[in-house]
Amino acid sequence: MLKKRNVREAIAGYLFASPIIIAILVFTIVPIFQAGYYSFTDYDALLQQKYRIRFNAQEALENYFFVSPDEAPSDEELLSLFDPVDFIELSVGVDLDDRQKELVRKEFNSRKLIADFLEFKLDRIYIFSDFMKSYMKNGASTFSRYVPQFVGLSNFLEAFKDRMFWISLKNAVVFSLVVTPIQTLLAIVLAVAANQRIRGVKFFKVSFFLPSITSAAAISMIFLLIYSKPGVLNRLLGYLGIGPVDWLGNIRTALPSIMAMNIWTTAGYFMVTFLAGLQDIPTSIIEASMIDGANAWVRFWRITIPMLRNQIIFVVTMGIIGTLQVFDQIYFLIRNQENITISMYIYQNAFSYGKMGYASAIAMILFLIIFSVTFVQRRLMPEERF
Amino acid sequence: MRRGSKVGRTIAYILLITYAIISFGPFVWALLVSITPMTYEKDGQRFGVDIMQWPPKINLFSWPPRVFGAPATLSNYRTVFEVVPYARWILNTVIYAGLTTLGHLLFDSMGGYAFARLRFPGKNLIFTLFLATMMVPAYVTIIPVYNLMVRYNLVNTYAGLFLPKLTGVVTLFMMRQFFLNLPTEIEEAAIIDGAGVVRRFFQIALPMAKPALAALAIYTFLGTWNDFLWPLLMTSDKSMFTLTMGLNFFRTSYYTFWQLMMAATLFMTLPMVIVFLSFQRYFIESGVTSGLKG
Repeated sequence: MLKKRNVREAIAGYLFASPIIIAILVFTIVPIFQAGYYSFTDYDALLQQKYRIRFNAQEALENYFFVSPDEAPSDEELLSLFDPVDFIELSVGVDLDDRQKELVRKEFNSRKLIADFLEFKLDRIYIFSDFMKSYMKNGASTFSRYVPQFVGLSNFLEAFKDRMFWISLKNAVVFSLVVTPIQTLLAIVLAVAANQRIRGVKFFKVSFFLPSITSAAAISMIFLLIYSKPGVLNRLLGYLGIGPVDWLGNIRTALPSIMAMNIWTTAGYFMVTFLAGLQDIPTSIIEASMIDGANAWVRFWRITIPMLRNQIIFVVTMGIIGTLQVFDQIYFLIRNQENITISMYIYQNAFSYGKMGYASAIAMILFLIIFSVTFVQRRLMPEERF
Repeated sequence: MRRGSKVGRTIAYILLITYAIISFGPFVWALLVSITPMTYEKDGQRFGVDIMQWPPKINLFSWPPRVFGAPATLSNYRTVFEVVPYARWILNTVIYAGLTTLGHLLFDSMGGYAFARLRFPGKNLIFTLFLATMMVPAYVTIIPVYNLMVRYNLVNTYAGLFLPKLTGVVTLFMMRQFFLNLPTEIEEAAIIDGAGVVRRFFQIALPMAKPALAALAIYTFLGTWNDFLWPLLMTSDKSMFTLTMGLNFFRTSYYTFWQLMMAATLFMTLPMVIVFLSFQRYFIESGVTSGLKG
């Protein structure tokens, strides 16, 4: 009886958990291993597409022979002129490596192709891999699936020699090391201020929280306006005698401008976290320290900060992990390659240059960095907190 | 000592008010620009508007009120719908965020319940594995997932947008924590009454989970509404763009249509502000949104 119930409970458990198990498996766990595999290969998105090329076989052959079947050429004559490797490379436009060339010379059914050509059977759009399936006697699978070459550690070695990798990594690390402490400290100061038995705490909380619920894309657009050369920031700074600066156009100011924007976005959000922590500090501790004659400065460093330890570790870790991966703001506002961050460099390699193997290797390096940060956090704060 | 705390509170007020201005300022500025006409007519002549001027010439005592010296107008908000397929982008974003939220509500709560309440072999191993994936940055998985979407021709489809986002480990964890903290007595009573797992989940646990589900829905909807990276990869066709993707449309290499861009920016922010103001306690008190942003 009990046994039967356990079995039924296990079945129910699997049924309930199966959607999320399948989804995480397909969209997270398998891709992690795939990315790991990519990072040791020369995976090239452009090559991956090459066997998917579409062409009209009839037209391609007419161009190849400079002759139309209407002119009734003999098949023997055409066959003697036909070289399948030339045809694939020049008329279809797919580059073959030496091994593939040899295979094509050996296994390509030229006679069948030319017979079909003379009977006008080819006048439709072919996908290259399907075309090869029809006209290779053997080994057509070589042209159906793109298999990237295994290149060992060379992507990682390339990264270490790649100037742009170091620049983008340095930018992300500097971004993180500047933004995280400032936003954390600012959030604590704001929280301490809001904890002084102030009227309208709710109003302040709401207004500080507003930037963090706005999309990074929208915030980028608003700051594009504010930072523009004739924009309001330069007008205001003009009163202080600071000349107009092209904040986002100048290599030296573009990244700091985005850092300031990022601090603005998140400081108010983390302030709410700290305020909750401050409200948990027993007032008796503070009163005792006041009787001992501790001034506000000493109280801040000796009581407030140690009491907020857990919140600080949490906010700093979240801050570092988030800022190391900053992307949207960089995409919208950075126009200079010298100022991009590592996530942007991964994006560019994978989706602009098609170098998915190399991009995966860099992503693995980023993973390692973030893993170390999380590891340190776990060490400092053993209990789980989310 | 009393004097000290009074000084302290004055400093606190100055600090908080200053930061409130800094926090609000950019939104107010964007709002002003968004209600400024591109050009306006006066005495039969057409005038351009300098939206970069400081201080912005504002006159609230005329009708219509004047901003940047020009009569305020809401026409930019209408023009946005005429010059770009903005209504379509709203629809796309609602579908993307809506379906993603529904997926999370159903699958995360089912999964959370299973991992919290039900015993099945391999449960702890699977859960530990899930937790480990939380440390993996999105940039590791997006390349293979993108290739998967390309292989099944899902680029520029709704399925391509929302399928990979239907569940998540962070939100699963949230729901599991919630069910773990829920008292078990009622469910135990239901077991004695012979209620099966499905009935226990849908009739007892889920109705009690309403606050957690609300927080989950807000968190997911907001995150997806504001998402940029995945729509950037999944949509290349203008008719499939989401709102964040569309914002770039108002600037060209030669000219930026500031008024339209700000109107579009505020238009997509407004629904989230309304959600936020209506459900503040879920944002501010529950701490459930921790990790919402970097």
